[in-house]
Amino acid sequence: MTASSDIDALAAMILARELESALSKRADCGFQLLSSGQEAVAVGVAAALLAHDQLLCSGRSIAPALARGLDPGRVMAELIGRASGPCLGRGGRGHLSQPSAGFFGAHAVVAGNLSIAAGVALALQARRDRSIAVCMFGDGACGAGALHETMNIAALWQLPLLLVCDNNLYSVSTPRAAALAPQRLSDLAAPFGIEACTVDGMDVRVVREAAVELTDYVRNGGGPAFLECISRRYASHSTSARETRGQQELAADRELDPITRLENALLSEGALSAQTAQALREQVRAKVAAACAFADLSPLPVPEEAFADVV
Amino acid sequence: MSSEPVRTRRVFFREAICRAVGETLDAEPNAIVMGQDVGAFGGSYKEFYGLFERFGPARVRDTPVAEAAMVGLGVGAAAAGLRTLVSITYMDFVLLALDPLVNYAAKARFKTGGQIRVPMVVKLTAGAKGQGVAHSQSLESWLMSVPGLRVVAPSNVADAYGLMRSALQADGPVVYVDHKRLFPTSGPLNASAHEVPFGLAAVSRPGRHATIVTHSYMVCVALAACDELAVSGIDCEVIDLRSLAPLDLATVCTSVSKTGALLTLEEGQVVCGIGAEIAYQAQARLGPVRVSRLGAMPAPVSSNPVLEAASLPDAGRVADAVRRLLMEG
Repeated sequence: MTASSDIDALAAMILARELESALSKRADCGFQLLSSGQEAVAVGVAAALLAHDQLLCSGRSIAPALARGLDPGRVMAELIGRASGPCLGRGGRGHLSQPSAGFFGAHAVVAGNLSIAAGVALALQARRDRSIAVCMFGDGACGAGALHETMNIAALWQLPLLLVCDNNLYSVSTPRAAALAPQRLSDLAAPFGIEACTVDGMDVRVVREAAVELTDYVRNGGGPAFLECISRRYASHSTSARETRGQQELAADRELDPITRLENALLSEGALSAQTAQALREQVRAKVAAACAFADLSPLPVPEEAFADVV
Repeated sequence: MSSEPVRTRRVFFREAICRAVGETLDAEPNAIVMGQDVGAFGGSYKEFYGLFERFGPARVRDTPVAEAAMVGLGVGAAAAGLRTLVSITYMDFVLLALDPLVNYAAKARFKTGGQIRVPMVVKLTAGAKGQGVAHSQSLESWLMSVPGLRVVAPSNVADAYGLMRSALQADGPVVYVDHKRLFPTSGPLNASAHEVPFGLAAVSRPGRHATIVTHSYMVCVALAACDELAVSGIDCEVIDLRSLAPLDLATVCTSVSKTGALLTLEEGQVVCGIGAEIAYQAQARLGPVRVSRLGAMPAPVSSNPVLEAASLPDAGRVADAVRRLLMEG
């Protein structure tokens, strides 16, 4: 990968972090599922996608949506329920979607988007244009039957589907070890003959390399693949969920920050100067400020919108 | 006479479904059928017979026994540009697939601001015919209250065809409910392609003294009850709803305002049932009328023939219910 793609990745991760930070400070933030800490997974996976591919994800969708290239202003508008969001403010939290931009989108039922993504992959397979579907989901989804049903059919039908498990080690408060028996979650794919690997989800270059390898495999007709990325979430499960982890654990997680990690690597490699890094942050902050300003100017939907597009 | 005998043929219920599905597969290269045993086997009731041979395994797809994933794939594929029909032989098993159907398909158009539509039909077979507690239920009323879902349930060959045609042309999810006891039936079917629109009930039998509002196989039961009642001079009108979501309350109300008495009849439970909804809506429009509802007893439906018969409405019970209703007046 080139230095410019690394810098793009850095900027993309900072954008997600800063946008969520701005969102969290707003009085109208409301219920949100934040991606902070897990940006490297979204950004690394999105870097491997082509224009006609479709990305689907769980309700933890802010970093995936931004990484896929959705306009930050429209994303912010959707998140705070404004009519200028891609879903006209109706989907909002957990249901961001913009298929025309390759972001088929979020679905906030744990494991609920897996078979949907396989269906999208089936439709893409029929097009024969080598496009693929990618579905991001949390470790929580790995205990659900939906994953196994989906992997079985995806393997049988050789669907162009990459399953990305963004394993942040917790289902709300339940540690992964207390909920899931397998040693590695990528082991779940093995019985179906699905190509799988587990990588460090806090290193965007590692995620991207694995995602490129597996998307190539899927794109070239290899059938489905499974990528597990071990990550850390920096906020509690949602803005309304209590934090259950201790200060020591949270501090240790902060040491793994994917943004700091890439920035330090690029500085030490000489691919980035401190000055350029600072300028990059300022550019991103300006973009986030503009996104917030755009969202603020966007109206709330009229009440009649509650009954539109139902049948 | 508008009927053209040359162009009308008597066919079995399954053939009517098969014809509508085959015509859609012919006309729409993006249309596919998925389900257990829909392929070379031809469907549990042979309702897909010959389609596998005509359209091949990519478009008439056998699936594993995995209702949640079957419907989820059908939803996702429809949302991404295909038109899908997912067949689940026993309606009872749609319970395994309610998440993609209710949480995704029914809401996708709304929640994405109209960006995503789900042109999918989920075909389910309801009703009791000796197969026991988990293979006999009629759960239509559970689904008709979900905003974003259309629910249709034919009672005869012509409607089986026409409603399937409509379902396969819709731009959103449709639940198509047929019935085990309808598959052995046959009836006339016009050879020209035609649709039965959503939200249009039919008067199956005109009458003066009471209105029986029902759907699916219970239309046959209601008509048998009418024959029994006619002997004692009671003349009932039977309304076949055909479409449960949307409901055609205008046709119901026109009939009830004429007869002044309403019996609702369904094979499912009466609690929070279709009859409860019809009875309320009719009275909201017409004011108080004599009304009664009849459905399955509040018990599981056994495969034991004695117990199955005891738990479900039959012509005798329908006739008794009509007599009681009219005595109240």
